[in-house]
Formats: sequence, structure tokens, C-alpha cells
Amino acid sequence: MKPHNAEKTCWNCPAAILKGNVDFRACGQSVEAIRKRVEREGILIECARQPDLGRFEPTITFEECPQWRLTEYGYMLENMRVMILGIDGYLGWTLALKLGRLGCEVSGVDNFLRRRCVKEKGSMSIVPIASMEERLEAAREVLGIDINFREIDILDREKLGRFMKEVKPEAIIHYGEIPSAPYSMVDCDHAIKVQYNNVIGTLGLLFLMKEIVPESCLIKLGTLGEYGSPLTGRPLFEGLFPADAVLIWGGREWSLGGEVTPRDPLSFYHVSKVQDTFNIYEACKYWWLRSYDIMQGVIYGVHTDEVAADPRLRTRLDVDEWFGTVVNRFVAQAILGMPLTVYGEGQQIRGFIALEDAMECMTRLTSSPPEPGQYDVVNQVSGLHKLIDLAETVARVASEKFDIPVKIQRVENPRVEADVHPYEVVSEKLPNTFGFRPKVTLEKEITRMFELLTQPEIKERLKRVAHLIRPSTWWSGEKRVAETIEVYTPGTKRVGGFQPVLITKREAIVPVSKPVEELEEPIQVLAKDDPPKKKTAKKVSKRNGAH
Amino acid sequence: MELTDKNFEKEVLKSDIPVLVEFWGSWCPPCQVEKKILAKLEEEYNGKIKICTINIDRNPKVTFKYYIKGVPTYIIFYNGKIIYRDIAAKSEKQLKEMIEKAINRINKIVNMNY
Repeated sequence: MKPHNAEKTCWNCPAAILKGNVDFRACGQSVEAIRKRVEREGILIECARQPDLGRFEPTITFEECPQWRLTEYGYMLENMRVMILGIDGYLGWTLALKLGRLGCEVSGVDNFLRRRCVKEKGSMSIVPIASMEERLEAAREVLGIDINFREIDILDREKLGRFMKEVKPEAIIHYGEIPSAPYSMVDCDHAIKVQYNNVIGTLGLLFLMKEIVPESCLIKLGTLGEYGSPLTGRPLFEGLFPADAVLIWGGREWSLGGEVTPRDPLSFYHVSKVQDTFNIYEACKYWWLRSYDIMQGVIYGVHTDEVAADPRLRTRLDVDEWFGTVVNRFVAQAILGMPLTVYGEGQQIRGFIALEDAMECMTRLTSSPPEPGQYDVVNQVSGLHKLIDLAETVARVASEKFDIPVKIQRVENPRVEADVHPYEVVSEKLPNTFGFRPKVTLEKEITRMFELLTQPEIKERLKRVAHLIRPSTWWSGEKRVAETIEVYTPGTKRVGGFQPVLITKREAIVPVSKPVEELEEPIQVLAKDDPPKKKTAKKVSKRNGAH
Repeated sequence: MELTDKNFEKEVLKSDIPVLVEFWGSWCPPCQVEKKILAKLEEEYNGKIKICTINIDRNPKVTFKYYIKGVPTYIIFYNGKIIYRDIAAKSEKQLKEMIEKAINRINKIVNMNY
């Protein structure tokens, strides 16, 4: 079987110079001179990497082109110039090393905002991370990678533009956003800070791309949380409705295929991501930019081969309530001997992906750019889990492999979200279009985390942030530590709620996200004055409700 | 089948059977996803009608000739002539209705000629 991107052509290649050669008519911006020439000669383009080719028809496939070489992730553009925004972060640094090792010319910018935000909350990365100077030195020394780093705030368009002109990136990975729902809900100042940085930063970037690198591909990190969790149980499609979706209203029918699906964000942070989605969608339409918008599940884990190659290359790991994702927090709590805190019912279902798998997805997407003007969305997720099940898994790994006894505790849910809800996620593109197969199981990555985080130095750091794990940021604006509802031993609680459904290849019959426990008989609703029936109605509470 | 300026005449205008052409743009998400339905219809109507697509930005000659001002635009050709024309993305049911309507019209033309 051919690699996933073998048949892509110059139309997908960032080295193909389209500007000035193609009459882009999407918005009626017909350029008379180009139109006449194209009518006479057909479309001929130039290659920025091989000017000696002159003008030629853009029909060369990646498989045929000498600029694209075969790797384990498909064809990769030789020495592809990839710029990573937010290169100092959890994902940015990890991806920089992976792409660098694959032969990409990696450049990156960061203003260390994440380090400051975490410090502001009195926390720190529990995996010690080196300064950028040390990181760059270690990348050179250990992996032989030269990363072109510049300290730039992406809101500073002048500086960012100058760097983009210097580098001329062929792909831009945008991780340069504040990635925290609770941080955005602390108060008005934090909500504004998150939205301003994320939305305005991305909007400015789009204008710069239009002017400087219109043929480059923007791979932008969104979140699965943009969709929310619709209580209708409607599947979360990959950003756009599929071809066979229709709207029926008043006895009439319309195709919904290709339209942007509804978004129902879960916090002001998620709202910033939704706003990004629409800004990017429009920029692709107006200016023929191209982008993959990544609806990533909750990320967890510590391992890739590159970050594990040397302590100085480790990526950050946060476990506090603002920047720690749920699996990372659970593992930290287990090591500290604290009960694992589940919010509310714990029946919330979310999509997840391990760090290593997420990096592979990003690599495959980088290697396979969309067509000019194409805005596409992928749901980057390798599994769906109920939070309460995740706690059970972490507890099992802790006790069976590391001899750490663990309790689980349900605490008040400080968020406004459905505690019990159906959840179906469609993730067909990464496995079927980009050849991605998840390699890391939940248990495997959790085990790796225990191995790393139980090291004495890290365990000491964990103790210093232990008081910051339990939630105290309420969506209501309250500031108080969430109280315990119950504490129990893993394996002793019957898990209800809905069965999650992850659709990676659509078959004729799609399973439905339905309650784990089917009703044996209809629920009888008794009025207060009714005499009690002999057979007591089964009490089924909170199964379908949001609270 | 994906058409080009070069093969349009041979594959469409000189085709023995009717041809449905979808004019599309890479910047039009409904056009992108509709390809799946068109592929399905191609199998279903095999031999009765040919189903093709053509990218408007890459094939300016045909695009200008047929005055395409929005995508997706559907044109059904028969014997080099336009039998049916419509614009805006369609559901599978609507596309089938469009094809059936065009085939009926073609049958009438053929009967009239006899």
C-alpha cells in the first residue's frame, strides 16, 4: 500500500509558488493579466526549492518529486522548514525534537508565558525543565538538532513578521496559546488575558501568513472541548458535517455536508478556541490559506523517545488544578498518597490521547498539507474514557505495578458541565486519511508516568505543589476548595452513566452511546398522594440530566 | 472522474451518455465532502450517466466558458448541450432527483428526434 500522502501533488506542496501564477477567483479577485495568460498557456507554476525547473504544470506527485523523501510517517519534504509557536511548552518542545530528528529545519518562538502563568498560580512543572539556552544546547549535543529559537510574543506582529520573513516557514504549528479552562475562569482579568492572547494572537498570525507565507500550512491546536457534549447524543463530527448529513425542516431537506458543525464550548478558554476556528476558516476562504484545525482530546503522558533521551530534554509536566490535565493529576495524587479527585458524578466522558501518539499525528499532518484554501478539521483522539474509569485505571496501575494503595474521592464539581451525558466522537480522518494508528495504551503511558514521577527529585517537587491539585476555581466565580462528597476504594463502586462511542471507521450501523444500565421496566412516577405500590419503582437518578 | 481543461471536450462534450459535472473549489468544504456522495452515485448510475468533477481554479478555460460564479455548480451535459444546471450543495436524495429529472428530459428529446 502506498504511503498516505504519495498521491498529493504540487497543489499541496508549500514550495509551489501559486501567487502570481494562479488566478484565484474564490472571492472574485480575478487578476486580468494572470487570467489571460492562464487562458493562453494553462496553469504553470514555479518551485521555490527548484527554480531551475522554470514554469511547469503543477502535477508532480510527492512520490515523484525528489524534494519529498519517504519516512515512516509518509513522504516528508526534505529539510522542511517548520516553525513552532509556543516551542517552550509541553507539546511545542516535544514536537520540535521529533520533527528535528526527522530532518526538519525547526524554528520556534516563545515568550515563556506558560512558565509565568504557572508561576503566578504558585505552581511549577513537576518534571524539572531546563532554560531554553540549555535545552537548545542539549538538543544539539544529544540529538544533533539545531533549533532556530527567538524569544517573541506572538502578539508582537512586527517581530514575529520579521522572523517569518527570515525563516520562510513551510509549515507553522501553532501551540502559542494559553491552554487552560480553569485559568480562564479565575476572574475577568484571566478570561480577558486568555482570550486576548489566543484570539488576537492567532488573528494577527493569519494576516502575517497571508503577506509572508501564503503557501505555508497552518496546523493549529484546537480542542475537542470546542464541541462540548451535546445532550442529544449527536456525534461530534470532525468539525464539518459529513456528506450524508441533512437538515429536515418543514417537510423540506437540505444538505449539511461540509458546513461547520455547532460548537458548545465549556469555558472562556474553549470560547477562544472556537473564535480561532472561525477566524481560520474565514482566512482560508478569503485568502486561499490552508489549515488543519486540530480538535485534540485531553493529552496526558511524559514520553517520547526524544524527550527521554536526556534529562535536559524533558518536557514540562503540570499537575496543578489550572494546567494539569486529569490523568497527569491522578498519577500525581496517587504518588502523593492522596485520593484521586473526581469532579461530581465522575461520569463525564472525554476524548484522550497520549503525548507520543499526539506527536505522531502532528507529524503526519505536517507531512500532508491541505490544498490551497482548504480548511479541514481532525479529531485527534485515541480513546474515550469516563473520568471515574480513568481513576480506576490509575489506581490499578498504582497498586499492581508500584504497590501504592490508592483511594478515589468524589468532590463537588466546580465546573458547569453535564456530569452524565452520552458521548460519540467521530475520528475517521487520522486513521483513514493520514495512516495513524495509536501505539500507546492508557496503561502503558500511566506506567511510564509512575516510573518517572516516583523518582526522588520529582517526588519532592510533587510534594511542593500537592496543595494546588484539588480544585478551588469555580465557574460561578466562587473561590473555595471543593468539598468531598465521598471517598471509596477502587473497584467497589458500580459505574453507571453512558457508554462512550469512538467512531474511527463508519460501518453501515453506527453504535449508539447509551446508558450502561438498560432499564428493566418503565420508571413509575408516583404523585405524593398515590398509595404506595407493592412493587417499588426503581430509582434512576441523574442518568440523563445535566447538573 | 476528475476533469481538466484538456480532457473536458473528449470526456464531456463528446460523451455517448449524459455527464453530470460538479464544478468545485478546494476552499469550499461542502464541495470537498460531496465527493463521497458523487462516488457512490457514479457506481449506482454506471452506464446511465457519467459523473465527473472539475476544479474551477485549476481549469480556468472551462470555468470561464460555462460562467461559473459559485460552487458547487452542477451541469448535466448531453450531446454537448446543457440539459440541466443548478447551484448549491445537494443531499444524495436531491442529486438523484436532479439526475432523474435530467434523464427524463433527455428521453423526451431523444423521442422527439425519432
